[in-house]
Amino acid sequence: MKLNEFIIPEDLKSAQSALEKLGEKGFAVAGGTSLHFLGIVEKTAVDISHLGLSGIQKQGGAYLIGATTSLGDLMKFKDQGWVLDQVALHTSTQQIRNISTLGGNIVRVFPWNDFPVALLALDATLYIEGVAEKAYSSDDYFNGQPIRLFQPGQLLTRVEVPVLKPGQGFGYHKEVRLHAGFSLMTAAAVITVKSGRIDGIRVAASAGIALPARLTLVEAALGGQAADAASLQQAVANGTAALAWKGKEGMSDEYAAHLGRVVLMDVLSAALLQAQGE
Amino acid sequence: MNVKDLKVVNKSVVKIDSMSLALGKPSYVADFKPADTLYVKMLWSPHAHARIVSIDISAAEKMPGVKAVLYHGNVPRVAHCTAGQGYPEPSPYDTFMFDTKVRYVGDRVAAVAAETLEQAEAALKAIKVEYEVLKPVLSIDEAFAEGAPIIHDEPDATIPIPVPYEPLKNLVAHISMEVGSLDKGLAEADFQFDRTYETQYAQHTPIEAYVAQAYLDPRGRIVIVTSTQVPFHCRRIVAQCLQIPVQQIRVIKPRIGGGFGSKQEVLLEDVVAMLTLRTKRPVFWEFTREENFRTGRTRHPIRIRLRMGVKKDGRITAFGMEATSNTGAYGGHGLTVIGCCGSKVLPLYRADNIAFLGKVAYTNMPVSGAYRGFGATQAFFAAESLMDEMAEAIGMDPVEFRKLNHIRSGEGSPVFEALGEGKKGVPMTIGSCALADCIAIGAKEIDWSRRTPWRSKTGRYRRGLGMCCLMQGSSVPEVDMGAASIKMNEDGSFNLLIGATDLGTGSDTVLGQIAAEAIGTTIDKMIVYSSDTDFTPFDVGAYASSTTYLSGEAARKAGAKVKLQILNTAAEMLHLPVSELDTAEGWAFSQDGQHKLSFSEISLYSLYQKNQYQIMDTASHITHKSPPPFSAHYVEIEVDTWTGAVQVLNYVAAVDCGTAINPKLAEGQTEGGVLNGISYALTEEYLFNAKGKMINANLTDYHIFSMRDKPPIKAILVPSYEETGPYGAKSVSEICINGAMPAIANAIHNATGARLYTTPFTPEKVWRAIQAL
Ligand SMILES: Cc1cc2nc3c(=O)[nH]c(=O)nc-3n(C[C@H](O)[C@H](O)[C@H](O)COP(=O)(O)OP(=O)(O)OC[C@H]3O[C@@H](n4cnc5c(N)ncnc54)[C@H](O)[C@@H]3O)c2cc1C
Repeated sequence: MKLNEFIIPEDLKSAQSALEKLGEKGFAVAGGTSLHFLGIVEKTAVDISHLGLSGIQKQGGAYLIGATTSLGDLMKFKDQGWVLDQVALHTSTQQIRNISTLGGNIVRVFPWNDFPVALLALDATLYIEGVAEKAYSSDDYFNGQPIRLFQPGQLLTRVEVPVLKPGQGFGYHKEVRLHAGFSLMTAAAVITVKSGRIDGIRVAASAGIALPARLTLVEAALGGQAADAASLQQAVANGTAALAWKGKEGMSDEYAAHLGRVVLMDVLSAALLQAQGE
Repeated sequence: MNVKDLKVVNKSVVKIDSMSLALGKPSYVADFKPADTLYVKMLWSPHAHARIVSIDISAAEKMPGVKAVLYHGNVPRVAHCTAGQGYPEPSPYDTFMFDTKVRYVGDRVAAVAAETLEQAEAALKAIKVEYEVLKPVLSIDEAFAEGAPIIHDEPDATIPIPVPYEPLKNLVAHISMEVGSLDKGLAEADFQFDRTYETQYAQHTPIEAYVAQAYLDPRGRIVIVTSTQVPFHCRRIVAQCLQIPVQQIRVIKPRIGGGFGSKQEVLLEDVVAMLTLRTKRPVFWEFTREENFRTGRTRHPIRIRLRMGVKKDGRITAFGMEATSNTGAYGGHGLTVIGCCGSKVLPLYRADNIAFLGKVAYTNMPVSGAYRGFGATQAFFAAESLMDEMAEAIGMDPVEFRKLNHIRSGEGSPVFEALGEGKKGVPMTIGSCALADCIAIGAKEIDWSRRTPWRSKTGRYRRGLGMCCLMQGSSVPEVDMGAASIKMNEDGSFNLLIGATDLGTGSDTVLGQIAAEAIGTTIDKMIVYSSDTDFTPFDVGAYASSTTYLSGEAARKAGAKVKLQILNTAAEMLHLPVSELDTAEGWAFSQDGQHKLSFSEISLYSLYQKNQYQIMDTASHITHKSPPPFSAHYVEIEVDTWTGAVQVLNYVAAVDCGTAINPKLAEGQTEGGVLNGISYALTEEYLFNAKGKMINANLTDYHIFSMRDKPPIKAILVPSYEETGPYGAKSVSEICINGAMPAIANAIHNATGARLYTTPFTPEKVWRAIQAL
């Protein structure tokens, strides 16, 4: 990407109007790290990193996260029902975490991005602000490349993530070859256990499949089942058979499918353990 | 000599360029870019194999800012070799500045020099090329298949020395030797093995990519400032390509941001020199990372077949190696690398029956070259993997098996004499050898006694211990030459001028220490300068683990000569015989302690007062043997048997490099080499599409270990004293990269029972090998 000009707007409204005016020629820049991956496109950058859109607040049963909150801040934040620190910890390097923002990570989704998977599993709500604000469920938001939802001048302003409650567990894993490497396979799961049964389950994966997605067949196979390893194993075996796993970095599709199953078992097992209070 | 008595050598003095580099002072080629420089961009071949039917540069020449365009139609056609080696090179002259044929994706088509990089890039798009695409040769098997396309069908491809070279068969080199009878040795064995191993392409990935600039000095000579390991070879090769006298060219090597062998090659300098001649303007050319991968040199992928035999009591009866390498489109280091597969590996273990066959194939793939380890890396993977298999077959601990068989001080190997570089080798008896100590110390450090058989291990995560032994060489005997000059200044400081090339290794510091020790001064009095073909004496350059052993001895000799001049002057000043005087720490003194003179006093006297003369001298050195450093490497790993992922938990490298001139730098070399080796073993590989184009030519998709990934690595220097080296030194720079691959392969086996024969050990390969058990 080649940036022609760099605009530093005073507030959210002027950022939005600048972007609206620029239309296709405009480019909202939060952390700017995606420029590393995008080809040469001549654009005018509008800096949205200082518009008061960062910070994390707990309100009722949810955390409200400003879109320009850095991944480093997500990692530093600690609370009982907060799990995004675990995700941020495994995201690239500290240097990248310091400048990359949550918004940047989930507006234009690269296959290796960590947060789309986690937010799908956590059932987050995402807010896009134009003339008015519109809320999207994570299912709708990630049902395709999210950038499709944005008109010029519209920005993601915040993300709402439910606080994890007792009886719920979160599992997250990404398989990499090097510490700051790009994911070969990412998966996340939230499991709710009630009376020894799986009462709720959301599981998502990416990197090994085309776009981050919930694995609804695995979820269906697990719902209501006994909360034990055997149920997980069966659900993963049955629920992933139809998935089109894609091998990367020279690995075969067959191995990707195998790896996908291993990683899913890992995240489901971790989520189940936590849900059972272990 | 007692190493303990040394004052400067064997001390970890601070690397002399460290502060300026840490402070970001202008040091590297790109830091010295003249303001009015032109920028070069190259049009690279998109095809693995094609003939250029026509090329039209007229539109490009008229583009804004464009000052010159080079292509095969407007430069001399001179067959040469880009590999920087001694003259005549043991390599084919198969390269032209530009040719009518392209032989790999990334081969040169046309170069543009323009006022800005953007203008040069734009002009590339205006060059019209019509290609006749030819069938590419993408593997060793395809190269040697009946009716294979001929990659070098041009009649002017030749080889300057009398060795087999058959370009019409895609054969770059062919060498063989046999001592005793391999068949007989195999027949005598209780256990026979026939195994084939394959290693992959890899890139050196120095931080500083290939970069060079050229300008004309006021007298019209071409000055080339370049990131090279071989300034003198560079001067010779550029003169050859441009058909101008060597006298017309000056090559300056400033600091280098890493080379690891990649910069033992002349890939940019002919073009910047030619463009400077054409435009009379300074010209600057720097590769992008992608160009570094595609066009830069790589490690030779090699297929190695080993046939070995062993008796039940552990004696090796036969050691046969058949190595076939893929040199890619040009053959620069083909012969020498394949030779080192045998010459650096076969002598490590005693065997009466030894055979070696080396073949090198041209393909339309990236060009292989010199890479730290130089063939020994690939061959040690094979040999040390099989050593473990043999030990297991006879029920002997792998450490004990190696202890029983390894070469020792006072022993020779027929291989030393049989395998040289394009000619017969040099017979050699091992002088210093502390391999037995390395094995023992390393085993203790990793706690080898914890090692249990793989069959006893269960569960998803399994740990394993692996080890290997290694040797390398120190210089190319009877071929390599280095020289040093030392000049004394009024304040008692010294200019040490060396042609040897510090590429980030710290060799300027090491050579400064050696010279200071020989003179009897301190390291802070040494002003070390390398290299400038106008001012520094000749040196073959930084390769073949030669700098400390070869150039170091030249520095020591020059220092000894300068010391003698200092003593003569001091004797004159003190009216004492020279025999009663000595030097230390910048002073000349009488041995009875009654008289002393500072070096500054002596220098002022010699320059200004009486019988004036400049205290200075030069010495050259050529080596007559290549004493091997030895090493034992140990590794502990953990394998996730479900995914096949391998994690290195702990690594120990015990190395005998003779006297470590600067122990900290020697440890640094070892740690860096080990990390590089681990990276090569586990993650680094070139991935290609079906047409021979690399698809991961960037550091996002090509994975090198960073400090974040570094496991604990313990480098242990095990002293020995090599009588033929400066203050007992041998070499340390290459040997350390050779161990990770076999040690990790052996550890994977010890953890899981799976044996890997192809590299790198990707999770999928490991997982499949475990599945196949
Ligand atoms: C070398 C490297 C390795 C990386 N590895 C990983 C990894 O392993 N895992 C991972 O998750 N991430 C990784 N990243 C980061 C990730 O790929 C993205 O680059 C990053 O998350 C983008 O965030 P940013 O704030 O820099 O966004 P920017 O680059 O500023 O923007 C990204 C896109 O989103 C748009 N945008 C940004 N914010 C908003 C908003 N509020 N409203 C509307 N549009 C917006 C921009 O216009 C742009 O199109 C890596 C990055 C690099 C450079």
